[in-house]
Amino acid sequence: MPDVTRAEGDPIISVRNVFKEFRREQMAIPVLNGINLSLFTGDYLALMGPSGSGKSTLLNLIAGLDRPTTGEIVVCGTNLGRSSEGELARWRSRNVGFIFQLYNLMPVLTAYENVELPLTLTHLKRKERDEHVRAALEVVGLTDRMNHYPRQLSGGQEQRVSIARAIVSDPRIIVADEPTGDLDAQSGTEILELMKRLNAEFDKTIIMVTHDPRAADEAKSILHLEKGQLVENPARNR
Amino acid sequence: MDTLKYILRNVSRNKLRSVLTILSIGFSLALMTVLIGYTAMQSVWKEEASQHHRIVVMNTQGFSGEVPISYVDRIRGMGGVNSAVPYSWFGGTYKDEEQMPFAQFGTDPQHVFEVWSEFRIAPAELDAWQDNRRGCVADRRLANRKGWKLGEQIPLKGTFFPVTLDLELVGVFDSPKDTDSLWFDWQYLDEILRASSAPTAGNAGTIFAKVAAPALMPKICQEIDDRFGSSDNPTRTQTEAAFAQMFTDMLGNIQDYIRNIGMAVVFSLSLVAGNTMAMSVRERTTEIAVLKAIGFPRTRVVGLILGESCGIALVGGCLGVVAGCASLELLHQLSRQFFPISVLELAGPWLLLLLAISAGIGVLSGMVPAFRAGQLSIVDGLRRVI
Ligand SMILES: Nc1ncnc2c1ncn2[C@@H]1O[C@H](COP(=O)(O)OP(=O)(O)O)[C@@H](O)[C@H]1O
Ligand SMILES: [Mg+2]
Repeated sequence: MPDVTRAEGDPIISVRNVFKEFRREQMAIPVLNGINLSLFTGDYLALMGPSGSGKSTLLNLIAGLDRPTTGEIVVCGTNLGRSSEGELARWRSRNVGFIFQLYNLMPVLTAYENVELPLTLTHLKRKERDEHVRAALEVVGLTDRMNHYPRQLSGGQEQRVSIARAIVSDPRIIVADEPTGDLDAQSGTEILELMKRLNAEFDKTIIMVTHDPRAADEAKSILHLEKGQLVENPARNR
Repeated sequence: MDTLKYILRNVSRNKLRSVLTILSIGFSLALMTVLIGYTAMQSVWKEEASQHHRIVVMNTQGFSGEVPISYVDRIRGMGGVNSAVPYSWFGGTYKDEEQMPFAQFGTDPQHVFEVWSEFRIAPAELDAWQDNRRGCVADRRLANRKGWKLGEQIPLKGTFFPVTLDLELVGVFDSPKDTDSLWFDWQYLDEILRASSAPTAGNAGTIFAKVAAPALMPKICQEIDDRFGSSDNPTRTQTEAAFAQMFTDMLGNIQDYIRNIGMAVVFSLSLVAGNTMAMSVRERTTEIAVLKAIGFPRTRVVGLILGESCGIALVGGCLGVVAGCASLELLHQLSRQFFPISVLELAGPWLLLLLAISAGIGVLSGMVPAFRAGQLSIVDGLRRVI
């Protein structure tokens, strides 16, 4: 069982015997076949594997975007499989920050407003919100661009805004699905450094899906998905 | 940044599309406003007309038939009738102004203020009118609009009668509602007609009579029609309210027809706006999935989209209602005879109904896309990118 060790207390992420299949017109497509995984606060895991191996599927399950077919997922003390849709939404807004390959900023909102978006779900006062947003933009080094719209930013800057959006409500976990997949080497390196800082300085638990071995090397641990299972060393070498 | 601002940003995301939707909703709501406003005006008019228990006598042939002037005295002499006057429509043009710039009627200066007892005129001016065959009186508001002073010479060139009247303004009267009317002495017209031996001489046109009490009206109408029923000029007598209704009825079916078309337009508009909304939401599938991923609950997502569609519809609706009211007011300014009541007086709950209709368009057009967005699976929505 490829648990990431260094156990101290309860894991923040605990995946037990998880199977996941998708149904498309009677056909059941098995994707995950018995996943077990424990991560602790401060872990930084890179998830690798060939395209279509189920990396995003596993990430989505852990982030509470989808439910396993069987098995149990407990994250930050919440059993995700047993939560209603509404409960999951509230849970995600408090516990998970998302970073996507294509940034997925709202094009009609400025950088500032994009970062503020998750806070509109909270009861924070305008002034408190403002402080949070500025702090998050400070971390990613974009305070000077906060009134720009996404189309006025470079890819790397957009991804930094999306990182600010992911951390603004101070979640304990950050999931990143190929965060450097669409960036040039220079910007990619900046993003990876930023993520490393979030992990080291702010103690965020991070799971990052990536194709890129250099990116994976930035993480504290690496796991591979193969035939629906997690392995430490891939059968076919990189 | 709050929800409203976000909705606004979404509306302005495709400006042309939003503007076109707003305009089309605006146009149809303007149309509805004019139609419903006109109907409201008719009912106010009728209401007004039913307050003063007046009856109107006309030939059974309608306006083309004659009502002999001798009927006036006979009706005035009937029990329960307070007074009666001839009331003959003279569609003349004034100076070189447009056709029939205001209403003109030939009537009896001795009795007309008994029939319209709610109208007020200074006694000296009434005396002056009764002593001056060429004299005329006008609604104060009409006189003010035209800038007439007492002594003003007012030539009216007949369009229906082949004569020109040379009138002199000797008085102004006050009426509860703008009548846009000028009254002259019926006998002055009749003298000129007789002098040219016109066949229409001696015709009162219509007769207006004031009845002592509302309850008497049906009986007296019947009595009058019975009395003249076997003469050469049988009469049709009805209450002033029914008389006003007659003009409405001439448009009656058309009105229903237009209103139905209006409703059909509103409905099909909802479908078109709905399709537009669905398109613009579908373009945003990924964004909606992201909103849900970062924790926006379903209700909030549905609210964002319904808010957007209702916002568009309400802006269109408000513009439409304002444009419709402006059109009604313009019609009133241009033709007080046929639109005697300003939209300011007509304003009422029906305006709110129209805004409710536009909100309804908003809900109808946003319903399906909002529901779809609410149902959207986050994973499927994100798979476009992840
Ligand atoms: N929502 C879904 N519906 C149907 N099939 C899906 C869905 N999500 C993923 N799959 C399938 O599951 C497999 C794994 O997908 P995914 O987790 O996206 O792979 P990866 O991220 O490793 O490239 C693929 O074969 C994909 O077609
Ligand atoms: Mg993937």
